[in-house]
Amino acid sequence: MQFGIFSVGDVTTDPTTGRTPTEGERIKAMVAIAQKAEEVGLDVFATGEHHNPPFVPSSPTTMLGYIAARTERLILSTSTTLITTNDPVKIAEDYAMLQHLADGRVDLMMGRGNTGPVYPWFGQDIREGINLAVENYALLRRLWREDVVDWEGKFRTPLQGFTSTPRPLDGVPPFVWHGSIRSPEIAEQAAYYGDGFFHNHIFWPADHTKRMIELYRTRYAHHGYGTPEQAIVGLGGQVFMRKNSQDAVREFRPYFDNAPVYGHGPSLEDFTEQTPLTVGSPQQVIEKTLSFREYAGDYQRQLFLMDHAGLPLKTVLEQLDLLGEEVVPVLREEFAKNRPADVPDAPTHQSLTAAARKKEAVA
Amino acid sequence: MKLVVISAGLSVPSSTRLLADRLAAAVHGHTPVDVRVVEVRDLAVEIAHQFTSGFPGKALAAAQDAVAEADGLIVVTPVFSASYSGLFKSFFDVLDKDALAGKPVLIAATGGSARHSLVLEHALRPLFAYLRAVVVPTAVYAASEDWGAEGLPERIERAAGELAALMPGTADRRAVDDGVVPFAERLAALGR
Repeated sequence: MQFGIFSVGDVTTDPTTGRTPTEGERIKAMVAIAQKAEEVGLDVFATGEHHNPPFVPSSPTTMLGYIAARTERLILSTSTTLITTNDPVKIAEDYAMLQHLADGRVDLMMGRGNTGPVYPWFGQDIREGINLAVENYALLRRLWREDVVDWEGKFRTPLQGFTSTPRPLDGVPPFVWHGSIRSPEIAEQAAYYGDGFFHNHIFWPADHTKRMIELYRTRYAHHGYGTPEQAIVGLGGQVFMRKNSQDAVREFRPYFDNAPVYGHGPSLEDFTEQTPLTVGSPQQVIEKTLSFREYAGDYQRQLFLMDHAGLPLKTVLEQLDLLGEEVVPVLREEFAKNRPADVPDAPTHQSLTAAARKKEAVA
Repeated sequence: MKLVVISAGLSVPSSTRLLADRLAAAVHGHTPVDVRVVEVRDLAVEIAHQFTSGFPGKALAAAQDAVAEADGLIVVTPVFSASYSGLFKSFFDVLDKDALAGKPVLIAATGGSARHSLVLEHALRPLFAYLRAVVVPTAVYAASEDWGAEGLPERIERAAGELAALMPGTADRRAVDDGVVPFAERLAALGR
């Protein structure tokens, strides 16, 4: 099972000090956080993609390329890559390039983006969101899998005799996850291709996540990729820890109360009861995270949101120490228990390459 | 059959609830119904939280489920600032946008004077038309003076009869499509 972190890349004022980091500081902080993730033994760093303030990561492969050069093991991913407003040709090129630079330590999570104005800024229409995700991804797959592509669709200039360069590393495209909070169409898309499905999970009650995951697993089996239990599932999570749980609650409360998305709404107590958010001791985080399996089944990737709401870099790095030293080792051990042998790990470049070679040998 | 009554009165007792109860009783007189009353006031905080958090609390979720499963609805609001109350509107703002599609709805309102009675036609009817509900022709407005005057019982009776007549047909219309559109069909629809 893979453990990692995902960042929204928000520039948010620290409510306890009133200080707002500069964009430059936030960008460098994200890089420091990614490096720390590798240092403490996590597997994955995923960055969001946004094209509006107060968010900084508009250019994910620039950031991930830089991180790739400064890390050795860490898988670099996205949360999410905007399959609706990006040109699929540019996604094919950018992430194949990143694959080469990172020696295959790359995968992506496709998402639609829910900010209406971003669509027209990139020449699109949010009402076509699902159709854009469907058509653009179908083209992206072909660009990575076919050397020469002739293509015509509804949303983009036709292609005649187009070759996307560089070709994917070892001829094996990056593994793709599809992220969606509430669109069954996207769970079905992930299942149709045998791709992974990631549920953000963190702002919603568990029964909602459960329904989406169940739908994906059922359709994964329907499309013939294996049993429902073998589908590739990822979940988000959100935690704040201190050795003593009262200290965690006291320190995190002002960040929670003023956080973008859910701030000025439900109480910290209600929100931790109703959603996966855990504020407490490392042991509480372990218990809550292990409980995800009760409704999501045995899954492949757990990403935590650690650096939002204006938390200072120093605090985030301390959180990552706790996550890497006290939480994840226990989670690895516990999640491995009773895990059926035929439940696969999340695909990596190594496993996908080996599978491709094996298929070639059989052919 | 299930009849859900949404009452947005704020005082206890409230004339809005009084009108809601009379309407529900009148419907029951036409056709046997299980009545569930949702007092929006009791859900005020959870409604506000759903605006900020994106998901309903337990009591609000239960009310939303009841609406989704209802065969018919009676909705009653006090008139505030020449329209439905903000809290009444908020209940429907956080409801699933398809929850009322095809459902028979009886609209009603209360106010201090008869001068606001067209609020039913100018505010409530368009709202429920937008939500694709089937709004019964007779809407019921009760001003303070109506409680001591002739005419209100007859309007209640007529509106209730119209709602009751529409309710038996809803089971078919309610067949919600939970099925997934197979992905191949979705791709094909884009012309590939």
